[in-house]
Amino acid sequence: MAEDLVLDTAIRDWVLIPLSVVMVLIGILRYFVSKLMLSFQVPDRKIVKEGQVIVRARNLRGAANFIPPKSFRSRRVYFSNEENGLLFVPKGQAQNAQAQMFSDPNMAMDMMKKNLSMIIPQTLTFAWVNFFFSGFVAAKIPFPLTQRFRSMLQNGIDLSTVDVSYVSSRSWYFLNLFGLRGLFSLILGEENAMDDTQRMMQMGGFGFDPSKSLTAEKDGLDIVQHEWALPKFEHRAEAVLKKLVS
Amino acid sequence: MAGHSDSSSSEKKSSEAMNDVPTFSTENMQNNMKVIYYSRTFMSIIGGVIAGILGFTGFMGFIFYFLVMAITSIGLIAKAKFSVHLYFDSWNRIILDGFMGGLMSFVLFWTFAYDIVHIF
Repeated sequence: MAEDLVLDTAIRDWVLIPLSVVMVLIGILRYFVSKLMLSFQVPDRKIVKEGQVIVRARNLRGAANFIPPKSFRSRRVYFSNEENGLLFVPKGQAQNAQAQMFSDPNMAMDMMKKNLSMIIPQTLTFAWVNFFFSGFVAAKIPFPLTQRFRSMLQNGIDLSTVDVSYVSSRSWYFLNLFGLRGLFSLILGEENAMDDTQRMMQMGGFGFDPSKSLTAEKDGLDIVQHEWALPKFEHRAEAVLKKLVS
Repeated sequence: MAGHSDSSSSEKKSSEAMNDVPTFSTENMQNNMKVIYYSRTFMSIIGGVIAGILGFTGFMGFIFYFLVMAITSIGLIAKAKFSVHLYFDSWNRIILDGFMGGLMSFVLFWTFAYDIVHIF
């Protein structure tokens, strides 16, 4: 390995620790702000109804083995009957829900607010890091990386002979960004951590939900093979009671 | 070892021992999953600090991470009194779940401790 650089203690005190502390604090702040800004959206009656139907169908699917075959079948027909079954959605209606979702101003506002509250602190912090903490070696990562990472990690440092392990503060910022997620989930309790990546993945989910999931549930229900799991429960109850008594 | 304690409440029984067909209580399953997640996160942070203080570099550090994860798995299995099927639906859950999730936290605290201690 090349020569070991000796780095100033002041860098420890004034770069690494403040940056981490600031990121933790911003995370906590964002958590509280999102709690305060939680705007209550009046749920649409039809949507709620459909949601409950889906939940009911899912429960039926999950617990199908605990009810006798005939009752399961009658329930299934109730749900997936062609004419007036609850899960059957005619094709024309399917498109409507999606368009309605996106043109609904409240929904759009909510999504925008959530997105912004994620993006703004990150952008601000990144800009702050770049402005104040650029142009020097900030930390040394304990494992070696190839030369290709040099341009990514050593952004402000213009010497090309420095070991790739010595990184600038920008990479310390990114390391913090990813690593503090675990810490937040411990402090803030239950996945309230920086789940911005999860949120972004869920973004497209709202508009399609009603009609697609209805047909999905219907298909799932049609597929289920009923296997009654409690055929001999009388005998088993007798055996257990006998054991208890004797 | 003192570092093993589950960082939250104990696991709950999630399957009925009496039925022939195994059934699972979803709520308890989720609670158990959460316990695993918290334990792994906590252990990876502690493991990161230890690795940094001890001065592991490169490959040794990652091997240490896997060692810590394995110790966490063993600890969790011991806490479940070795009857994994009462608490989880498969072996894979308790062994493999969340393995990679703690990696970033581990690396962060490893770098942090290593720098503070060694590159004064």
